[in-house]
Amino acid sequence: MTVLLLAVLAFALAAVALTRRRLLWGVAVLGVHSLVLAALYFALSAPDVALAEAAIGFGLVTFVYLLAIRRTGRIAVAAVECRPLLYPEGEEVVGLVWELLELLAARTHRELELRWVERGEVEGLLSSREADLAAGDLVPSARETAFPRVPLLPTRIVRVRRGNGPWGAISGSREAERLPRGGRLFPRRGELLEALERGELGGAVVNLLELRSFYLRGTFRDAEIEPLEDADFVVLFAPDEGELAEALREIMTELREKGEWEELLRRYL
Amino acid sequence: MAAQIGTVLGIGLVFLGFGALLLRRSLIWKLLGLNVASSGAIVFLVALSHRPGAVPPLSGYPEGTPSADPLPQALVLTAIVIHFATLALSLAYAISLTERFHTQETERIEAASEEEMER
Amino acid sequence: MKRALTIALLATLLGILLFGLTDLFPPAEVRPWAEMARAYGAGNGVASIVLGSRLYDTLLEVLVFALAMVGVRYTLKPLGKWREPVVPERGVVREMADVLLPVIIVFAVYLAASGHLGPGGGFPAGAIAGSGLLLLAMAKGIERLSRELHEGTLEPLEYGTITVLLVLGCLSILLNHRGSGLLVAFNLLIGIEVTIGAWVVLHYFASHRGEI
Repeated sequence: MTVLLLAVLAFALAAVALTRRRLLWGVAVLGVHSLVLAALYFALSAPDVALAEAAIGFGLVTFVYLLAIRRTGRIAVAAVECRPLLYPEGEEVVGLVWELLELLAARTHRELELRWVERGEVEGLLSSREADLAAGDLVPSARETAFPRVPLLPTRIVRVRRGNGPWGAISGSREAERLPRGGRLFPRRGELLEALERGELGGAVVNLLELRSFYLRGTFRDAEIEPLEDADFVVLFAPDEGELAEALREIMTELREKGEWEELLRRYL
Repeated sequence: MAAQIGTVLGIGLVFLGFGALLLRRSLIWKLLGLNVASSGAIVFLVALSHRPGAVPPLSGYPEGTPSADPLPQALVLTAIVIHFATLALSLAYAISLTERFHTQETERIEAASEEEMER
Repeated sequence: MKRALTIALLATLLGILLFGLTDLFPPAEVRPWAEMARAYGAGNGVASIVLGSRLYDTLLEVLVFALAMVGVRYTLKPLGKWREPVVPERGVVREMADVLLPVIIVFAVYLAASGHLGPGGGFPAGAIAGSGLLLLAMAKGIERLSRELHEGTLEPLEYGTITVLLVLGCLSILLNHRGSGLLVAFNLLIGIEVTIGAWVVLHYFASHRGEI
């Protein structure tokens, strides 16, 4: 009877362990499974085997898995699309920030996992730890100053007027915080651009890179530009990823010292 | 009866483990599946050593009580230790592979290594 | 494709389940191991096989274990060196380690030394001592522990243990001499071997991040 109960329990635990989504849960449940197996071996009158399984299967195997998982972890990136910093091209991802992220992954021996998000979602994703870092079209807003950051490029926030009508900006960003009253918010740069071209807006509060992309599309060629404040493009990190931020800072310092940073800027901007 | 339950469990675990090995894509999940499968094989062997109403094969018991068969248990003892050793080595390879190819999905690793070989 | 495979697997599983519950293959007779165990000077039937009649297998198994450790060293050595890790002063773990570590070590030595009389033996003893090392690493900080247990000390110890084990084993097989003293020696040597193996794994797997 004991054997039957233990056997069913062991099988159920194994099934649960192998169908988890997160690796850590699988390893933890597998540890319990090996303890149940050790009890089973006792019930099957094999004390030597039970001891060996408990000591090795539970103690050493779980521990080795945990170490290996720690060393092959992922970095979850919340990416805000921004030509030419970070944007998808067909199946691949390209951009200045992408190269930095790849260097970071190589240095911390982890794998990058990118997720394209809207600018407004960044704060939520970083607070809930669903993303380890956020990069792309990021000028940090007042609410995002709590997150550790690494500044990449200086930029400026400008107000561009083209006609009469309300102002527009991308929601969740620093630019949106500088929006005068009655302004409209858009989740994505593409929608802001469309609204401008349709003439629904009289102007926008954007940063220089967004301005540049608008110029390239032909919008705003004849507009008035008024600078508002200086800011930086940054990479934001989740609250407890200080190590990762340190690694990125080291990378930036090394790039600047070796002169490769200039080359990257020239290539992408 | 107990031995039969054990054998059934053992085979069940082997299939479960191999199922996970085939269906999961990441390297470490595959290793976990292999782990479960080998545990299943071990359970199978231990169950084979059990006899009805048996005591463990130790010398403290009175003469004549039916005891379990120590031979499969001896095989299994070695198997557990070797399993740990090969697991450690496989995980070392997994770490090394992940650092080389920056991914754990086996399909991408295979594709990337084929590209490397063609070069 | 995957779905078909899963269904096929489940069906086979069900079939084997039903088949296994029948009584088609009755178990064989248990060989009389008690006399053999007494002849080897052991009280533990399993130990009398592992270290007695199948000593050959155990020696090869130790060799395979050591080979796996060499493999781990070789694969992981070229990757990454020490980064200065942040070592938090985990007060609770240090207090616990102070109390638990002696118990763990004594228990491991006890298991190894009495493995020929009762359940236990060298293998679980080594694993338990390895877990004790892990506890020590968490209390002391793995960097410091690695410096104290550096490769210069450990490698000759490991290879020395294996050599002594193999020599003793071969002599024992060739001269056909067994005794309980020899069994204790084997158990202790195997325990040391497994402990060092566990430490090698701990060290090389944690060597880049440096923190558990």
